Amino acid sequence: MDAIRVENVEFSYDGETDVINGMSFAIPKGSYTTIIGHNGSGKSTIAKLLNGLLEAKSGNIEILGQKLTLENLQSIRDSIGIVFQNPDNQFIGSTVADDIAFGLENHCVPTEQMQQIIEESARKVGMEKYLDAEPANLSGGQKQRVAIAGLLAVSPDIIVFDESTSMLDPQGKASINAQIKELNKMKDKTIVSITHDMDEVAQSEHVIVLQKGKAVLEGTPKEIFANDKLLQEMGLDVPFALKASKAFQKAGMIKEDCLNLADVVEALCPSK
Amino acid sequence: MRNIALGRYMPLKSIVNDMDPRAKLVILFVLMIAIFIPAGFWGYLPIALFILAALKLSKLSISFAMRSVKPMLFMMFFLTVINVLVVKTGVLWFQLGWFTIYSDAVIQTAYIIIRLTLMIILTTILTATTKPLDLTLGIEKLLKPLEAVGVPAHIVAMMISIALRFIPTLIEETQRIMNAQASRGVDLENGTLKEKITAVLALIVPLFVSAFDRADQLANAMEARGYDPNKTRTRYKTLKMANADYAGMFLAVAVLLLNIVLWKTGL
Repeated sequence: MDAIRVENVEFSYDGETDVINGMSFAIPKGSYTTIIGHNGSGKSTIAKLLNGLLEAKSGNIEILGQKLTLENLQSIRDSIGIVFQNPDNQFIGSTVADDIAFGLENHCVPTEQMQQIIEESARKVGMEKYLDAEPANLSGGQKQRVAIAGLLAVSPDIIVFDESTSMLDPQGKASINAQIKELNKMKDKTIVSITHDMDEVAQSEHVIVLQKGKAVLEGTPKEIFANDKLLQEMGLDVPFALKASKAFQKAGMIKEDCLNLADVVEALCPSK
Repeated sequence: MRNIALGRYMPLKSIVNDMDPRAKLVILFVLMIAIFIPAGFWGYLPIALFILAALKLSKLSISFAMRSVKPMLFMMFFLTVINVLVVKTGVLWFQLGWFTIYSDAVIQTAYIIIRLTLMIILTTILTATTKPLDLTLGIEKLLKPLEAVGVPAHIVAMMISIALRFIPTLIEETQRIMNAQASRGVDLENGTLKEKITAVLALIVPLFVSAFDRADQLANAMEARGYDPNKTRTRYKTLKMANADYAGMFLAVAVLLLNIVLWKTGL
């Protein structure tokens, strides 16, 4: 069964120009999928459509086999969590513990069980020492980790990262990417990451490329990056490791494309 | 800004800090009524004693309490002047040409000043010993019975706590916009009044735009996490009354009754 199935979805903000223009794709359960596309390709809009923050003009959205309608909106939202772009604007509680508790309060978790769940989810993202910290004293990366903990507390099956690292410094970016990888290892969650970061795309298992409100390419990172000319036409970059390995190939030093730096190093000077 | 005592939370360890915010709100409410009972000057003595005891127990200094009154000094002075000029009843105490001071003017002003001072110090003790969020929770719980008649206690409390949560964020934002506008040549400090107003506009417009943007994103984030203001929710923080809370409320009610007795018997 697919975790997310999007069929012929159309959507427009102003009723005239369609931002999402007959988009269709499917995301397998338990996978780590990245969605890329140039600005205006409809990346962030599709995230909001998936959990019903926006309503599609036409087409079908299915989450875990359940068609998204006004009636089952609440139960769909229970199974899909979103980490948004701006770390400050999704921090609702006045302390870390309060913020993690926010989702639990909405799900009517009994008060006696909350403390334990809060501590556990904070530990999963390495924020257990900051339970009483206020958002003003946390870095962007820490705030995003708290947002992830807030989702883990209510344990949705699907976690969507909507450009969650784009406002972070390189350190914060690396820590969130490591966190996403960690979540993917647990295998019981489907991870969808909408991103600009091509190095993150190289880490993922499945890539969907959007252009002008349509899904135009789909496949593994290797398959996607094989179309590097096409990607460049769309205004998209390729991972640095791939560029480097291409340059090395030109110089005749290595034979094949590599998607991460460790592979490039391995190809240049084999450890065995 | 640093020296303003009014409304600031002081993270001290004291009995009053640990008290239930509901009890503290009830005490404040009861004593406010007591302050307005016209029991004569003697009526303020039990209230003042209660306040002194509360200050002592909350480990706040008297100078801290006095500092909280400071912003009101100008208003008090203004009141005195108006009263002396307007109230012309009672015994004539002082005369210099056309300028006269009557006893009623002085006594009425003294009443007002004492009442104001007591109220400000009481409120300061409350806000200095209670975290804003606990205060919100206390208000919510106290208003809960009124939900039956349509007072949206939970929604009001959520609004207050989000407002409190975003104060530091918006201050930071203001600073950033001020710097950005200063680098574009907007001068917020010098110039004529007209120039200053234009400069402030350059600060306020972007601040509002970004605040609305934030509000929109926050609403999305809250909705995405399953928030529905009309649904029942459980609460992470709960309140529990202890002996100190009951004792405090009992004493406050006793002070109120004493004042009523003083007033009715006309002592």
